[in-house]
Amino acid sequence: MDSSNLTALPEEETSGSEEQQQDQQPFSAFASVPHRPPTQTSLQKYSPLDWSAYFDGEDDIRIPDTDNVFHVYMAGTEGPVVFCLHGGGYSGLSFALAASKIKEKARVVALDLRGHGKSVTDNDLDLSIETMCNDVLAILRAMYGDSPPAIVLVGHSMGGSVAVHVAAKKSLPSLAGLVVVDVVELMFSLKINKEIECSLKWGSSRNVESARVSIPSTLKYDDSKKCMKFANQSTEISYFRYEGLSDKFLSCPVPKVLLLAGTDRLDSLRWKYLVICPELSQSRKLSALFLDRALTIGQMQGKFQMVVVRHTGHAIQEDVPEEFATLILNFISRNHIGPRGIETDACSSSSKSSRVFCLRDKKFCNLQGFTYVSCVMRWGWASVFKASIPKLRGSLETHALLALLPHI
Amino acid sequence: MPSHADLDRQIEHLMECKPLPEAEVKTLCDQARAILVEEWNVQPVKCPVTVCGDIHGQFYDLIELFRIGGNAPDTNYLFMGDYVDRGYYSVETVTLLVALKVRYRDRITILRGNHESRQITQVYGFYDECLRKYGNANVWKFFTDLFDYLPLTALIESQIFCLHGGLSPSLDTLDNIRALDRIQEVPHEGPMCDLLWSDPDDRCGWGISPRGAGYTFGQDIAAQFNHTNGLTLISRAHQLVMEGYNWCQEKNVVTVFSAPNYCYRCGNMAAILEIGENMDQNFLQFDPAPRQIEPDTTRKTPDYFL
Repeated sequence: MDSSNLTALPEEETSGSEEQQQDQQPFSAFASVPHRPPTQTSLQKYSPLDWSAYFDGEDDIRIPDTDNVFHVYMAGTEGPVVFCLHGGGYSGLSFALAASKIKEKARVVALDLRGHGKSVTDNDLDLSIETMCNDVLAILRAMYGDSPPAIVLVGHSMGGSVAVHVAAKKSLPSLAGLVVVDVVELMFSLKINKEIECSLKWGSSRNVESARVSIPSTLKYDDSKKCMKFANQSTEISYFRYEGLSDKFLSCPVPKVLLLAGTDRLDSLRWKYLVICPELSQSRKLSALFLDRALTIGQMQGKFQMVVVRHTGHAIQEDVPEEFATLILNFISRNHIGPRGIETDACSSSSKSSRVFCLRDKKFCNLQGFTYVSCVMRWGWASVFKASIPKLRGSLETHALLALLPHI
Repeated sequence: MPSHADLDRQIEHLMECKPLPEAEVKTLCDQARAILVEEWNVQPVKCPVTVCGDIHGQFYDLIELFRIGGNAPDTNYLFMGDYVDRGYYSVETVTLLVALKVRYRDRITILRGNHESRQITQVYGFYDECLRKYGNANVWKFFTDLFDYLPLTALIESQIFCLHGGLSPSLDTLDNIRALDRIQEVPHEGPMCDLLWSDPDDRCGWGISPRGAGYTFGQDIAAQFNHTNGLTLISRAHQLVMEGYNWCQEKNVVTVFSAPNYCYRCGNMAAILEIGENMDQNFLQFDPAPRQIEPDTTRKTPDYFL
C-alpha cells in the first residue's frame, strides 16, 4: 500500500507543474475559443414529442359500477402482456421509449395510475397502496375478462410497490413474472428511523428524449394523510416506507427480477443515501449493505434475480430504454413466458448428448437416449407433436417419463 | 521461487488484516497463477481435509474459522469459492488465501465461485474496495486475472465432489468437466457458468434458476450424477443456510456456508465440514467473530460522489 502511494507521487507532481505552467499563461487556452452557435434552439431541442411515435394506440378503460376511467397506452400484437406501472409523479408515458422496443416481441400496456396522466377517478388523491392495487386488478378484469393472457407485471418505484402488492395477492392466475424497478422501499429499510422524513431529490430522467414524452408532473407525499399531493413545481417527493414489502416481494410465486439503478457501482448506493437522507450517509452501516435482511437472505438463497443497471438514474426505463427493453425481453424468454403462460416447448439444451424435456411445472427432465420428443404444455393442456422413444435406459428415466405421461 | 521467509512474513502481516503493497500482490498473483495453471478442472484432494463455503470478505470470521478448524497448514483446507464482495475486507481475505495457497500448495485448495469474476466484483464491492485501498484498480486486475485460473471443482478421494454452485444439464460425467476450457471469465451461460451458479431444488428434474443464471436440479439429477460417477456426496456452497450447513436431496447433496451473520446482518451461523482420515464427516458450526472491527469509513466516499 505504501509503495503504491510512493510510485503515484511523481505523477501527481508532474501534473501539478503542468498546471503551474498553464497558470503562467492564463488566457492562452481560452482566448481563441471559436464562436459556436447552437444548431438547434433549446425550444426545438426540448420540444414535446407525441406518444404515438412509440405506442400503437391508447384507450380509456371504464371500471364498471364506478366513475373511474383509466388511461392506457398499448403497443405490440403478440406475446405476453407486459403491464407497466409507473412511479409517483410519472405517467404511463414513462415507458414510451422502452415500449417501442419491447413491442417487437411482447404486448405492452402502460397505465396511467390514479391521480396521474389522463386517468380520471372519483378521488385522485387517494393513492394508498390498497386502492392502487385494486385499481390494477379492476383494470385487468375490465380489459381481459375471465381469460387474461400471461401477464408480466413491471413496476417502477411507487408502481413497483403496487406491482409487488398485486402479485402477492396471488389472485391473478395468469401472472407469469414480476419486474420491480428501483423501488427505494426495498433498498433502504431497517436502519432508517421511522421519524426521519426522507425527501428525495433526483433528476427524474437523464434521457432528454424520454423526458420530452413523459413530463413528470410532480407530486408530494403527505405522510399525515398517507397520500400523494401535488406540489408546486418542486421536485421533492417524500416517500412513505411500506412495511413488509421485502417479504411480500419474496412471497410472490412467480419468477422475479429486481432492477436497481447503479449510478456508478453498487457501493455507490451510498450516493443514494446521501441524497435521500444526509444523516444516513454518516452511518457506516450503509457502505456495503443495501438490501434489508429479508432480501439479502432471499437473494443469497437464490430466490430472485437482481440486476444493477449502471450509469442510470432512478428511472431506468427512461434513461436506458434499449437496455431496459432487452432486460425485460431476456427475462421473458429465459422463463419461457408465452402469450398464455409459462411455455415449455422446444427448450433446447446446450448439451451434446442429452435432450432436455420440459414439464408443466416449469421443470425439465434430462433424459438420455431419447431420440426426439417435443412437447408443448401450457397450463393444463398439452399437445405432443412427435414422440419416438427407442427404449428406456434406467429407472430414473422411466420415472421422468411417467411424470411426463399425464400431461401428454 | 519465492522464499518461504518472505511468504511467512506476508502471511503474518495479512493475518493482522493489513493489505500487502501493490507490488507484492502482483508478485503473489504471478506465483499463484503458475501453481493454479497446473491444477485440474476437477482437482484431486486427499483426506483429511476441511471443506469451507462462502467467505465474502468477512476477514475476522475467516480468522475465527481458522481458530475453530485449525491453522493452515496444520489443517488441510478446501475452499469452495466466493472469497470477495459484500464484506469489508475482500482484499485482505483473498490475499491471505492466495498467499496460503502459494506457501502450502498441497495443503490448501481454492476453487472458483461465481463472485470470482470481473463482472460480479464490479457490482458487489471488490472493485470499489481495491480502488479505495490502493487508489487504483491494478490490484483488482491482478486478482481477477488470477481468478480465471482457479479450478472449478475438486474431488476428495474420488468420493466427495466439491464445487461452488451445482450441476449442469450439459455435464453428465466428471470427464465432461475435465474437458472444459476453464481459463476465461465466467460466461453468462453454459456448463462452466452452471457449475458456479446452479442450486439444488425440491422439485425433480432441471428447472430455470430464479437467479437468472445456472439451473436448479432435483434429487433425481443429483442421484444419477453420483451414481454415474461413483460418488457418495456433492458438497457445495453458494446458498445461505441458517445453520451453516444443510443436507438435502436424501443426503446426495450438502450445502456448506462459512460466512456467519452474512453481510453483518442475516443472523445465520457458519459451518465447515471436516472430512477425517477415514472419510468420516463432522460439521463444526461457528458464530461471528466476537470482535467485529468495522473499517474507518471517513475516507470511504470516493471523490466522484461529491
